[in-house]
Amino acid sequence: MISKKRVETLMLVVIVITATGLASGQTHKEYRFTVHPGSSVSVANPYGAISVKSAAANAVVVTAILHSDKVEIDQIQHGNRIDINSHLLPGADAESGQVEYEISVPADASVNMRTSTGPLKAEKMGGDLTLEGTTASVDVHDVSNAHVHVKTLSGPVTLTNIKGGHVEVTSVSGDVTLNTVTGPNVQVSSSSGKIIYNGDFGIGGAYSLTSHTGDIEATAPPQASIDVVAESTKGTVDSDFSLEPRHSSFTTKVGSTFAGTMNKALSLVKLNSFSGKIHLKKR
Amino acid sequence: MTCREFQEILPEIIDGGQSIEQEMHWRSCGECSDLVADLTLISQQAIELRAADTPSPRVWNSIEIALREEGLIRAGGGLAVVPIPSRRWSMRWLVPLTAAFLVSFGVADYYMARQQTPTEVAGVDRPGAVASAMDADDSQLLEAVGTNAPAMRATYETNLKDVNAFIRDAEDSAKNNPGDEEAQQMLMEAYAQKNMIYEMAMDRSLR
Repeated sequence: MISKKRVETLMLVVIVITATGLASGQTHKEYRFTVHPGSSVSVANPYGAISVKSAAANAVVVTAILHSDKVEIDQIQHGNRIDINSHLLPGADAESGQVEYEISVPADASVNMRTSTGPLKAEKMGGDLTLEGTTASVDVHDVSNAHVHVKTLSGPVTLTNIKGGHVEVTSVSGDVTLNTVTGPNVQVSSSSGKIIYNGDFGIGGAYSLTSHTGDIEATAPPQASIDVVAESTKGTVDSDFSLEPRHSSFTTKVGSTFAGTMNKALSLVKLNSFSGKIHLKKR
Repeated sequence: MTCREFQEILPEIIDGGQSIEQEMHWRSCGECSDLVADLTLISQQAIELRAADTPSPRVWNSIEIALREEGLIRAGGGLAVVPIPSRRWSMRWLVPLTAAFLVSFGVADYYMARQQTPTEVAGVDRPGAVASAMDADDSQLLEAVGTNAPAMRATYETNLKDVNAFIRDAEDSAKNNPGDEEAQQMLMEAYAQKNMIYEMAMDRSLR
């Protein structure tokens, strides 16, 4: 029974194109997997780019460029779950162990990407995304109704046009930029990285931007409907807007805190820093 | 034999011993068969791990002490937290759990200490003890990263310093403002970031 199931799930067509003529020693490979709705794809690649975008409804197609024979690709399919791993062989380093992936998946697939150097990129997706990178830059755009979780140490993070899902970004020292990102729950945490938000904070979400020493800059249009609380323990805060007083026990201190509402105050916005500057800017 | 019964004795099966009844179940049950295949692969990979990847006994002792304090294990009980080197099963997978546990323990411990009266706290350096333990573990973590991925050591070191500074400031802020939810939230964020660094350092594809 299991062998039948595995045979079924392993009905993948593997096309291997070896570019032996390339002086660079690069090898191109392509793997094709047949999947059902709600599939999940996990890619771990210590050195090199991973780029994912949506395409056909029932197929996952992985194209990879291996920079040397010091790295190989382990790929396995268990039903609707696909694991792709760059397997470093003895002697591999950041250059020879590099693999560049371009992956197309069904729009509803959930994707997990991990790399040290990256970069990581995901676009036009509707399934949950998890992106983890050490120094890798992360670029995610055009994602709807899906969770987007990003973790980096020093890699910069840019999210653009993300709607309707939970967004959680944690970066220790990388700058985090959110452009037109809205959803029921948007959380960004950085230690020393700068946090930049450009957008209208949507309707009815909770937004939390937190840093230790990094500055926080949020830019919103006058029609934004927000209930905002900003506090920097040792830094300064500044708002371009004239906010309506907030009906709460929150006590404001000129220079380091401000709180208030705009329009119908449909979204809650918390801006917190220990020593970074906080600026709520008018667009 | 049920799946539950089978999975309870899975470690022994992976180690090589199995009865006819167990083998029949294994061959007839897709879920258990998958599980055996996955665990066998993990077990084989674990053997290849170098000794340098294994945390020092100090880490395991810290976990054991913490578990005893939490009442999760008893002194002299059957559960040995410190791994036995000769076992085929590597305990490496426990490292991220260790990090998560220590971080959680640090936060919980901080709040417990905060709720005690000054008399109770006097002479008991609980938060400090946790903090220093984490610092010692930081060095060990950097050593491991330096061994496995020398180019990444500086990145991890810089970011650990950032996060430790974040934790220190957040702790001070929470102590000075005991009723401030935001200060407490920030402390938790700082610990979460440290937890993330530990998890990343133990992930082969992230170092």
